[in-house]
Amino acid sequence: MAQLEFNDVTKMYGDIVAVKDISLTISDNEFFCIFGPPSCGKTTLLRLLLGLVQQDTGSVLIGGKDVTEVGPQERDLAMVFQNLALFPHMTAYENLAFPLVERKVSKADIKARIGEVAETLHITPLLKKIPAHLSGGERQRVAIGRALVRDPAAFLMDEPIAALDARLREEMRVELKRLQRELNHTLVYVTHDQEEAMSIADRMAIMEDGRIRQVGTPDEIYNHPNGRYVAELIGSPPMNFIDGAFDGASKRFSAGDFEMSIGFEGVSASGAASIGVRPEDFRVTSGGGAEIEFDANVYEVEPLGGFTIVDCNIGEKVLKVQIPGQPTFELGQAIKLGFDSKRAHLFDGPSGDVLASAA
Amino acid sequence: MYRSWTSHLWRYLLILIAVLIVAYPIVWMGTMAFKPFQEWTTVDGVHWIPEKGTVENFLFLFNGEVESLVVTLDRTIWKPLLASVVTASLGTFIAVVIGTLGSYAVSRFGVGMNLPLSVLQLRLFPPLAVMIPVMVMWAFIGAIDTWWGLSLIYAIVTLPFSFWLMKTFFDEVPVEIEEAALVEGCSRWRVFYRVTLPMVKAGLATTALFVFILNWSDYLLALLLTRKDWVTLPVYMSSLASAMGGQMYGMKAALGLIAAVPPVVFGIMIQKYLVRGLTFGALKQ
Repeated sequence: MAQLEFNDVTKMYGDIVAVKDISLTISDNEFFCIFGPPSCGKTTLLRLLLGLVQQDTGSVLIGGKDVTEVGPQERDLAMVFQNLALFPHMTAYENLAFPLVERKVSKADIKARIGEVAETLHITPLLKKIPAHLSGGERQRVAIGRALVRDPAAFLMDEPIAALDARLREEMRVELKRLQRELNHTLVYVTHDQEEAMSIADRMAIMEDGRIRQVGTPDEIYNHPNGRYVAELIGSPPMNFIDGAFDGASKRFSAGDFEMSIGFEGVSASGAASIGVRPEDFRVTSGGGAEIEFDANVYEVEPLGGFTIVDCNIGEKVLKVQIPGQPTFELGQAIKLGFDSKRAHLFDGPSGDVLASAA
Repeated sequence: MYRSWTSHLWRYLLILIAVLIVAYPIVWMGTMAFKPFQEWTTVDGVHWIPEKGTVENFLFLFNGEVESLVVTLDRTIWKPLLASVVTASLGTFIAVVIGTLGSYAVSRFGVGMNLPLSVLQLRLFPPLAVMIPVMVMWAFIGAIDTWWGLSLIYAIVTLPFSFWLMKTFFDEVPVEIEEAALVEGCSRWRVFYRVTLPMVKAGLATTALFVFILNWSDYLLALLLTRKDWVTLPVYMSSLASAMGGQMYGMKAALGLIAAVPPVVFGIMIQKYLVRGLTFGALKQ
């Protein structure tokens, strides 16, 4: 139950930048996800919090207190490591008891506490087994249990369920979310799975190359990405981009033979730009009914049950369009695509910064 | 994979031959230990079963005399046995403790720079090459023919083995497991004692046994650094000859049998760990 804070933290490994100029506040009792591609510094952030590595500059605060001089033992954080890091020579029970034994809790209290946690995580029958005799999902529960037996300032988890198969992962993430709400503790969760991050986070941070690109609720991140990088990373299938040029005076966007009048409010600058539209914001129209319409051809159809992804050509460009249900299209069929300017994003060409975002 | 019965046959035949070659001298030693001196040497090949089995060879070693022999022993086996047990154990203990702590520091914190390699250089040349200076040094500090002098040289000579063996075992322990223990409230020492050490238990047993056998079977160092009081079993064995009786083959075999006991017993005791220790790292867990 504490607020975690990074103030201008930089950490280098030799010449390699692990994290750079990170300023981030994770509020009390928040489920906070750190999301980014592999080796972008996500894990380093956790290790900085834990005190396993020391920042080069800046400060890390736990509960408002600077912990630069505090060792990992005294930071009062609980961690679930990516490879779980269970103690292989101890039974599940001994693994769970470990943090309590180290804190000199009485035997009776340990037993009671483990009983509770084991009940919550449904691992009571497994307590006598050693990790080698547990399945992946069971081990993962034990690892989470080892973090839960204490009452730490915050929980940290580094892709704890990445090694599980897809079905189990979906179950576990719901359970984690429910668990976090019950515990009412700060939880920092690192993942490279955008769906996972979107589904469980109260707020999330998007990282790239050791820097934080955007911090916000999943809704803000999805609907108002602050740059092309974030827009590309979040969403599946990904956002469609049409590269071209925008004229701020005439409010016209042109990309080769493809031209449209689109009224992005408050954008007066002109120059190279891209329009971004999410696949579900396109509609197949029979003419009229959408603010902006253009001709396209069906290139490929991917029926996925609940919805269908239609790949459409406009010239050389392929756009992914997501339509509910299972409509039928013929390959090469000429269709009309439409979208509303309110659902479109405009990104600056060279920098990728957002110029106008969906309402 | 399907194997035909002939390939099985060849395989077992090969194993049988290997076992025979290894077992031959050991069995020979085993039977020789129980032969009376009339049967020690033969002119018509090896006699496997003693015609008149006896334990006099053993009694002679422990008592210094037996009725059937006119020769007596001026030194019984007791003191060399004690010397071997004390020096080999103590040398092993020192080498394993220092090797374990040192290799842990190097493996985890990368301290020591060239230390790992400079430890290895102790093994780069034959021990005989440095034994003359060592003898002079040992004489200077009064360590010749003492239990601690011999233990010390054993510890020094076997330190590279224990260091490098333990280092490979420590390298196998994932850092995250130690970090988890740190986060859960352990001090560095507690991490080592409660988490890391139990995890390399198998390696520790293997290393200790390996080093012990090296020390136990040493002949050269004991020959050069002891005179009389702390002569060890191998050196003692070479003295088992007399002007009157010639080479005492039966006693030597009996002594060999006795000397083989500790390594075999320890080996069986830690067999479970030994198999794991020797294959440690070969399998991903």
